Amino acid sequence: MDTNGMPQSPAGDWRSYERMLLPPIQDLHELNVYEEHGGYDRLRRVLEDDEFAPGDVTDAVKASGLTGRGGAGFPTGIKWTFMPEPDDRPRFIGVNADESEPGTFKDRQVMEYNPHLMLEGILLAGYALHIDTAYVYIRGEYTDWIVHLKKQLQKAYEAGYVGEDIMGSGFTMDIVLHKGAGAYICGEETSLMESLEGKRGYPRYKPPFPAQSGIFGSPTTINNAETLAHVPLIVEQGGEAYSNIGAGDMPGPALYGMSGHVKKPGVYEFPTGMPLTDLIHDVCGGMARDKAMKAFVPGGSSTPPIRAENIDGLTMNDESLGEVGSRTGTFCPLVLDEETDMVSFLRRVAHFYQDETCGQCTPCREGTSWLEKILARIDEGEGRMRDIDLLLELCDNMDGGRTICAFADGAVGPVRATVKRFRDEFAAKCQASVHPVSTDVSAGAESAVAATE
Amino acid sequence: MPIVTVDGTTYEYEGEQKLLQFCLNQGIELPHFCYHPAMSIPANCRQCLVKVGMPKEDRESGEVVRDDEGEPEIQYFPQLQASCTVDLRDGMVVKTHRTSEEVDQAQTDNLEFLLTNHPLDCPICDQAGHCPLQIQSYKYGPEGSRFEFRKVHKPKRVKLGPRVTLDAERCINCTRCTRFTDEVSESNQLTIANRGVKNHPITAPGETFDDPYSMNTIDICPVGALTSADFRFKARIWEMSSTPSITTTNATGANCHYWVRDNQVLRITPRQNMDVNEYWLPDEDRLVYNKFNDNRPPGPHIRRDDARTQSNWEQVYARAASLLGSADPERILFLGSAYATVEDNYLLTQLAEAVGADAPRYLPHVEPGAGDDWLITDDKTPNAAGCERLGIRPVDEELVGSQIKGDEYDLLYVLEDDPVSAGLCTADDLADTDVVLHYYNTTNETLSRATAALPAAMVVETVGTYVNQDGRAQRVRPAKEIQGVNRTLMMEMGTNREDEHGTPFDRWHNDENRINCKPSWEMLPKIAQRYGTDMDYPKGPEQIMDEVQSTMAAFEGATYDAMGLKGVPLEDVEAGEAV
Ligand SMILES: Cc1cc2nc3c(=O)[nH]c(=O)nc-3n(C[C@H](O)[C@H](O)[C@H](O)COP(=O)(O)O)c2cc1C
Ligand code: SF4
Ligand code: SF4
Ligand code: FES
Repeated sequence: MDTNGMPQSPAGDWRSYERMLLPPIQDLHELNVYEEHGGYDRLRRVLEDDEFAPGDVTDAVKASGLTGRGGAGFPTGIKWTFMPEPDDRPRFIGVNADESEPGTFKDRQVMEYNPHLMLEGILLAGYALHIDTAYVYIRGEYTDWIVHLKKQLQKAYEAGYVGEDIMGSGFTMDIVLHKGAGAYICGEETSLMESLEGKRGYPRYKPPFPAQSGIFGSPTTINNAETLAHVPLIVEQGGEAYSNIGAGDMPGPALYGMSGHVKKPGVYEFPTGMPLTDLIHDVCGGMARDKAMKAFVPGGSSTPPIRAENIDGLTMNDESLGEVGSRTGTFCPLVLDEETDMVSFLRRVAHFYQDETCGQCTPCREGTSWLEKILARIDEGEGRMRDIDLLLELCDNMDGGRTICAFADGAVGPVRATVKRFRDEFAAKCQASVHPVSTDVSAGAESAVAATE
Repeated sequence: MPIVTVDGTTYEYEGEQKLLQFCLNQGIELPHFCYHPAMSIPANCRQCLVKVGMPKEDRESGEVVRDDEGEPEIQYFPQLQASCTVDLRDGMVVKTHRTSEEVDQAQTDNLEFLLTNHPLDCPICDQAGHCPLQIQSYKYGPEGSRFEFRKVHKPKRVKLGPRVTLDAERCINCTRCTRFTDEVSESNQLTIANRGVKNHPITAPGETFDDPYSMNTIDICPVGALTSADFRFKARIWEMSSTPSITTTNATGANCHYWVRDNQVLRITPRQNMDVNEYWLPDEDRLVYNKFNDNRPPGPHIRRDDARTQSNWEQVYARAASLLGSADPERILFLGSAYATVEDNYLLTQLAEAVGADAPRYLPHVEPGAGDDWLITDDKTPNAAGCERLGIRPVDEELVGSQIKGDEYDLLYVLEDDPVSAGLCTADDLADTDVVLHYYNTTNETLSRATAALPAAMVVETVGTYVNQDGRAQRVRPAKEIQGVNRTLMMEMGTNREDEHGTPFDRWHNDENRINCKPSWEMLPKIAQRYGTDMDYPKGPEQIMDEVQSTMAAFEGATYDAMGLKGVPLEDVEAGEAV
């Protein structure tokens, strides 16, 4: 389907898209302004309307096709159906606002500009899943946002939207803010639960899954902060209508957190499925230094970078990015121009994972540190040709179920992809190495030899 | 019964079980570090990976899909599984490193990672020689290392507490130690600090790891990261022999190993017995080893007037016998001992009977409130229950104390105890009383009053039986040699030591540090014979115990064979009913 000679993208006519998550309304974060614009009406409707059973909210979310915005893209409605029937145990929601993935800064915007949308979403989810308490786990560095959210939550409590017998419906639910202490790993859902319980943020192995045994061993659903902010929109429009927004495989609005070498970085709201080139050139005003682009990292540092020459025709949804071996992640792209040294880039990314691994699993603890050391030495011009294959081999020894959580997969993804896709740059740095032995050694599979050579 | 197939062999199983533990129970070794059967499963070492499959089921009918030969078709999980977390399911098929190259390689890869930052200071490490990391690296590890960088440096000698010192570089972060304090001892004193390769266990700032069970973390640490402040760098594992036995610090009768080099006990570690102490041993049970080495007597002696003279065994036996012969039987007090074995106490009862004196009594050593409802008991003796079953009752300390003071006894016959330090009487009270004393250490406060002093073998030097507070009879074996020749001790030592086939140049033939003492079961018959009664057990304590268990219902079934290494529970008896 062509329109004006332009291929139609899943994002459709994004130029005339009207924002829903972050609408342009002055002081929307204030409860009264939010109320003036229909705030908490959706919750009221669900609570007051006898026709609206908890299961209907879940059904609407299922029909909407909403996928999680925390990075893994799991269908939210399906996740909710994993919750067991209510029994005598308390039930919890963990709202994941730990937002620490490098390059990701969109949950913050929701909390700043539209906190009540998120709170309303939490309450709707709470109603759907018979939740007693929702814990909002917020990244420790977000001090200002914690203060801000606390104030708004207080107002919601005072207005009777949260707490005992909400709006006289008999539904009771608490929302508790919990401040993280500055660890990326606490954004991993099982680690988040441990941390909430006051323990060291060590992920748990699964099964059991959170729905069976989560926070304090009770049924729990963990959702990203932004994900829950979508729920009122779904309840308002109905799942069907929502599912027609954006890309079919992961529909709805999305917050694109653009950073890197673009003229106008920032958080932009558009439907999912945006063409990458439109995002860079039309939304962000093009490349910052008017240089050619080298790489595009679609959604956080753990999503595999895509070479610039491959981005034409790609759109921001997993179906499309999957074709080039990447994924949407958190929908927060990082754009790199031709001046970027991919070895240095990867070294910095590897440093992050080395620093942030919780360190309980052997391959992840030792592997992330080893990867960084190799990358540092290549970057400093001391690499051996065989280091390149060693990097790839170590990646194979770290992921694919060899560890407890997906951190190792996230740490390994960018290394494998960057080394494979930009191998020439790594080779060039090794070739110029001051170590004559290494330049002679071919870069074949056999090239990684023991330390005793 | 449900079945599981491991490396082509099919096993039946019952109930809910984890794959790793099941394999270990079947004698199928799988490398592992973090898993410990007494604690929660963290699955963090990632060493126990295996390939797991299930019979393929037809989606519609739910029937198992079978191949041409009628065998179920197996669908393997694409990812390797940590066997410590896998629940057995009927029909499960497992491939270990023995049948799967993928598993074999994955285990090797994991060890390569484990060793990258490990200091490999095995040549000076206490754990070397029985180190799970060392052993499994040799078995499953890579040939060399591809790691060409400086290893991380972490604190090398952190005093976590008075008894445990950490070498953080050796730590492999298995969290066994922190889980122990969280889940087993429940002191919650240890946690892991830092992230990634800088991880290591530590106490909270300003806190000290003084858990009364702290030293168990040393045993369960799979590397040499946690060391005993006391034992650190003292001996290599292969220089010592370890003898399975029990501790005598209290009435638990915890099973242990005595580690001996050159006839000196250097440390005491727990020995698994699920009916007694499981895997654990309190610190206070371990740090008593010096009493077996220090302040031991130079040999028997005799006191004439106030002069003590070194004597020999023949003379001291004769002296003891003549004292028994010359005293008025009604003015002889026999004191049995809750420290001594059932056999020794039994012979003492017989001797008392032959002499015509009252039955022996024993001195209780109870510290109310000292116990913890776990492995530490108020009773600080190992065999009070054994005494009671033999009909030996506690002394009435007030009455007997005043009788001694009032010189109502001519002779006190004390088996392996110390009435003066126990407060039964003072040394001065004994000025006009003769004392025959079987004793362990020269610190014994009754020793200065002993007319005939007989150095007795301690638990590490003897053979015998103890009954713990739960009525469990357990036997002990000699862990170190004493002077003189005793066939029974030699046989017991020879058959249970790994170093059985040594040469005279090996350490266990070392004459150093052998104590000139004898087990009471050797001394008592000698004295009895000289006194003129017929007491003869040529086969030693085994024969004595056989007689005890066949003649006294309270000990029925407690033969040496039955007790073996783990002991036997005895029938309950009412206190006092035993006689
Ligand atoms: C290492 C790691 C870090 C993560 N950090 C975050 C995070 O900061 N915020 C977040 O929402 N999800 C994070 N996730 C994903 C969560 O585990 C979880 O999938 C998500 O919160 C589920 O919410 P969703 O289904 O709404 O996306 C992380 C995952 C991993 C493996
Ligand atoms: S994979 Fe890494 S981050 Fe995740 S639990 Fe294991 S060590 Fe921790
Ligand atoms: S000190 Fe030992 S027991 Fe504790 S985590 Fe390290 S390796 Fe494990
Ligand atoms: S034993 Fe450590 S992961 Fe299984």
